[in-house]
Amino acid sequence: MKTNWLKLALAIVLTTAALLFTQNSSAQDAAKQKIAVVISTMNNPWFVVLGETAKARAIELGYDATIFDSQNDTAKEAAHFENLIAGGYKAVLFNPTDANGSIANVEKAKAAGIPVFCIDREINSTNAATAQMLSDSYSGCVKLGQYFVKTVGKEGEYAELLGIVGDNNTWNRSKGFHSVVDRYPGLKMVAQQSGEFDRAKGLEVMESMLQAHPNIKAVFCGNDAMAMGAYQALVSAGKDKQVKVFGFDGADDVVKAIAEGKIVATGMQFPKRMAQQSAEFADQYIKGKRDFAQKIPVPVEIVTKENVSKYGDYGKK
Amino acid sequence: MRVVRWFIALVILAGICWWFPLFHVATMKTATAEKAAVTFNATVFAETYWTNQLLASFAKTVKADLLLPAIQADSGAAKIKFARSLGLSASYFYFVSGSGHVVAVSDDEVSLAIMPASTNTEVSLQTGLVFGNALRDGTGLLNTSDYPNSQDFNDISAALNHLVEARVLPKLREQAKVGANMSFVGCAEVDDETTDLKPLKVIPIQTEVQ
Repeated sequence: MKTNWLKLALAIVLTTAALLFTQNSSAQDAAKQKIAVVISTMNNPWFVVLGETAKARAIELGYDATIFDSQNDTAKEAAHFENLIAGGYKAVLFNPTDANGSIANVEKAKAAGIPVFCIDREINSTNAATAQMLSDSYSGCVKLGQYFVKTVGKEGEYAELLGIVGDNNTWNRSKGFHSVVDRYPGLKMVAQQSGEFDRAKGLEVMESMLQAHPNIKAVFCGNDAMAMGAYQALVSAGKDKQVKVFGFDGADDVVKAIAEGKIVATGMQFPKRMAQQSAEFADQYIKGKRDFAQKIPVPVEIVTKENVSKYGDYGKK
Repeated sequence: MRVVRWFIALVILAGICWWFPLFHVATMKTATAEKAAVTFNATVFAETYWTNQLLASFAKTVKADLLLPAIQADSGAAKIKFARSLGLSASYFYFVSGSGHVVAVSDDEVSLAIMPASTNTEVSLQTGLVFGNALRDGTGLLNTSDYPNSQDFNDISAALNHLVEARVLPKLREQAKVGANMSFVGCAEVDDETTDLKPLKVIPIQTEVQ
């Protein structure tokens, strides 16, 4: 009889403990708010770093964070926004696919009371996103253009690989570069084509450019993925010593290639810094802050063989 | 009866089309003019900005004979007190004016000694090709958040740089002779304190030989 009472008491204690534990953990889950990280493409290591860093910082700050990959497709991006609005997310850290095409998604989130913080890529609006943290691509490419003239010289043929045509970064980079290089009439751009910020496409475009223009001295690429693709094409054609390659992003493989003398220079964009700051902005918003500057330029530094030892892991060491 | 029904239906349809037209007809000339009005023209903007805002803002400059000793004493404190920077940028700008005497002239710069009895180059007026955003961002008059498309904001930089090259530099190159006294107003970008502060590299907006 005594044993039965003991068993019953033990069962009650265990059941109560189990119930308390379950309630506690669901209370903790319920308290965790959700932040969405919507990235234009996870098919590029640079954007993977951007997305993963934003997610990690949001988790550090006490949120549940999920990455949505738009695969450079505005329709997929729109579907992500529908889902995250319905899913009760409290903020969006957003790397848009299209400067104009993404505005409607941001406006939808805003209408639903969800703040959107753009990272790296801009939307052409000053009243949809809560804030936009943007690499100063133009200034970075002014510096790259100056280094281009210094290393390539004031005469010769060169080519340019543009990024995605609908993205402002493509044109800010191109215009910054040309604001310098076009001042030297001896430097002639003989080919300019989009490589869509993609390594495979960059390789393919560079191959056809080399066939049409075998005498180019340099190629300016709107991002590092295309720079690596272009370099591969040059190696295959046996022209990697003849043609100087310039990239933009600060991707790890390109920084290493600069150290090895394969690529001449890139613009370091500090994706980790931008991603962390955007997560912190979202946290501040959720806690009540409202006065954010609409556009916040993030500086770009050029990485060359002279200073490459100071850079790595998507930032400054 | 059927004719009347058709007539009423047509009237209703015409009314709907009147209030909610399916298309507008415009001449090519008007359409082109409307599009041009919507497209931001950085060259036109820069011209107006130069005359109406920039030239009227010189009172906001810091005097070089105040700034240079401040930099010499503590460049960090001088930055906090007199400089402006954008976003998370580590580089910063001074909107500066002053006068001095010309100690050297080269293809790309006019070197000025500013402090009394000094013969050192303390300010270098840049007279070569003008690049970057010092003129746009150095004064604090223009704000990137006011521009939906950053391409427009960046085009302003290029347009202002061209204005300096066209309006300021030819006269400066012609008038700057060693020994001459000269006043100036301009913007300086400090990207690397080890090279950009001594001398302070200023892109001139206005210069006068006294």
